[in-house]
Amino acid sequence: MKAGVFILDFYGKKEQDSKGAGYINSMHGGRYPMKRSIIQVLVCFIFILLIADTASAKSPERIISLAPSITEILFAAGLGDKIVGVTTFCDHPEEAKQKPKIGGMSNPSLEEVVLLKPDIVIMTTDGNPKEFEQKLHSLGIRTYVFESLTIPELPQGLKKMGEALEEDERFNSLATKIDETLNAVRSQGSASGKKILFIVWPEPLIVAGRQTAVDDAIGLLGGINIGAIGQGRYPKYSIEEIFHRSPDIIFIGKGMVEEGDKNMRELSKGLLERIAHVSAVKKGKVFFVGDGLYRLGPRVVDGIQELAGYLK
Amino acid sequence: MNWKIFLITVTAIIIITVALFAGPRLINPFVMNDTEKEILLSIRLPRVIVSILMGAALGASGAVLQGILRNPLADPYILGISSGASLTAAMGIISGITLFGIVTIPVFAFAGALCTGVFVGAMGWKRGGFWPDRLLLAGVGLGFLFSSILMLIMSISSTEGLRRAMLWIFGDLSLADWSVIPYGSLFIAAGLSISMLRAKSLNALILGDELSHSLGFSPRKERFILFLCVSLMTAASVSLGGMIGFIGLLIPHMARFVTGSDNRILIPVSAIGGGAILCIADLIGKSVLSPTELPAGIITAIIGAPYFLYLLRRKDVLSN
Repeated sequence: MKAGVFILDFYGKKEQDSKGAGYINSMHGGRYPMKRSIIQVLVCFIFILLIADTASAKSPERIISLAPSITEILFAAGLGDKIVGVTTFCDHPEEAKQKPKIGGMSNPSLEEVVLLKPDIVIMTTDGNPKEFEQKLHSLGIRTYVFESLTIPELPQGLKKMGEALEEDERFNSLATKIDETLNAVRSQGSASGKKILFIVWPEPLIVAGRQTAVDDAIGLLGGINIGAIGQGRYPKYSIEEIFHRSPDIIFIGKGMVEEGDKNMRELSKGLLERIAHVSAVKKGKVFFVGDGLYRLGPRVVDGIQELAGYLK
Repeated sequence: MNWKIFLITVTAIIIITVALFAGPRLINPFVMNDTEKEILLSIRLPRVIVSILMGAALGASGAVLQGILRNPLADPYILGISSGASLTAAMGIISGITLFGIVTIPVFAFAGALCTGVFVGAMGWKRGGFWPDRLLLAGVGLGFLFSSILMLIMSISSTEGLRRAMLWIFGDLSLADWSVIPYGSLFIAAGLSISMLRAKSLNALILGDELSHSLGFSPRKERFILFLCVSLMTAASVSLGGMIGFIGLLIPHMARFVTGSDNRILIPVSAIGGGAILCIADLIGKSVLSPTELPAGIITAIIGAPYFLYLLRRKDVLSN
């Protein structure tokens, strides 16, 4: 508190001086501005020190994650022990299933969150209601909102989360690891120019569109995502459109159902029969892939490598 | 008759108390730690108050509306007010505007509901007064229009606000907050008390325009005032927590079954009953699949619809 007052006094006084300097400066040609900027830099520096100091005073020990991707990120960063609550959808890694549940992503239970006494609640812009954040603030609970939506944003997003959680090192190394893999994949460019369709659900036909990790992955591999039409992130697609655009490769995600390998093949049978004359189906270029790309977390790397494996 | 009202009030109070302390995690009112106190005061109490307000507004509006439209199938949502509110609220949620902070969505919904109310009123107005059938049809027509615009917006928008909008449309009380309660209770109390003061003229209105005229009431004026009350109460209720199905239709019929169809008693009993039923529905909604919370609107419809059908068989509601 005393330090704060000191800074304010200091700043106010010097500010006055510098105003005077500015005036003189206009007549005598720039000797004082130098002094002014040094003072400003100094003041800023002290402020930053102060802020950093108060923040590190309460490094969060009890973390609640409001999204499966965040849960995966926290576990990958080695903070699994600090997680005290997750959503009912957080099923990866295996330990996440043992954590106390606080409800769904769009409808988390406020009571459960408060009862777990978190130091910080980590939310995402991709599925958590904004009102919930406001409500948590009104109850005096700290939040951090993870804003990354695409793979290129992921490393930066991880670093920022690391800063917020006072765990820069762990998160930086996680970000670097992802960055390295992405660069390696990019340099391979194994899908150069191929038209790719990623089917999320066969009936009704939903595909991965713009602004999704799948779209980024296809782009990084050098392919063209023919699902990226219109505005929707996961648009409804017509079978006509598949014929019209004639994909070279079709991926079908298994991640939306239990025992995806068996069930998704069963569910996709009808669709694949109807598009049997599309070149990808005729040439047997239809692959069933895991859910790595459905969550913007550490496993997107596995997801990209899985796609890359089928493209070779 | 009075002991019945007494009994209903006592039951309602018990239900409200249970809703406060029960739930997926019981709170013992005599031994509370700080966290439990906070949960009780900042989460459960506003939630229970919001459900009482919403339920009371819907129950009373239903009773009044069935009277002024002389139609046993009328409920506050048939006038399209809720569809208008849902449309503006969903637009607010999906566009992500946070103009008024935590009360943004309620403000949007209230504005939408009021505009729709005015519009329906204008459509139902002819030769210096409201015509029940015109009001009803205008409301149904507008309701369809707004719901389809809503569907259109929802099918072309991709943002994650969509899921939130869906929840809101089904009536979601989970984010009930103290900040909306003063406004909501002001409008609802005003609407409720005016319609209770006009209960006598509503009784006359049900007999038909000519008869009520000869009994000394002006049907046009009374219908206008009561329509205003209903619009205000419905708008406030929808803006507090979205659409709660069935209470407006069902509760007045249940109340008639218990206390008869004198509106002086029917309106307050419908209000009390509506509040209590919504409290219970919300309690069930947040308890059965805990920690996943089901929107209260779904619960009221699931419990309400079968009971309504049972009542329909047991007693001929239409003959009232």
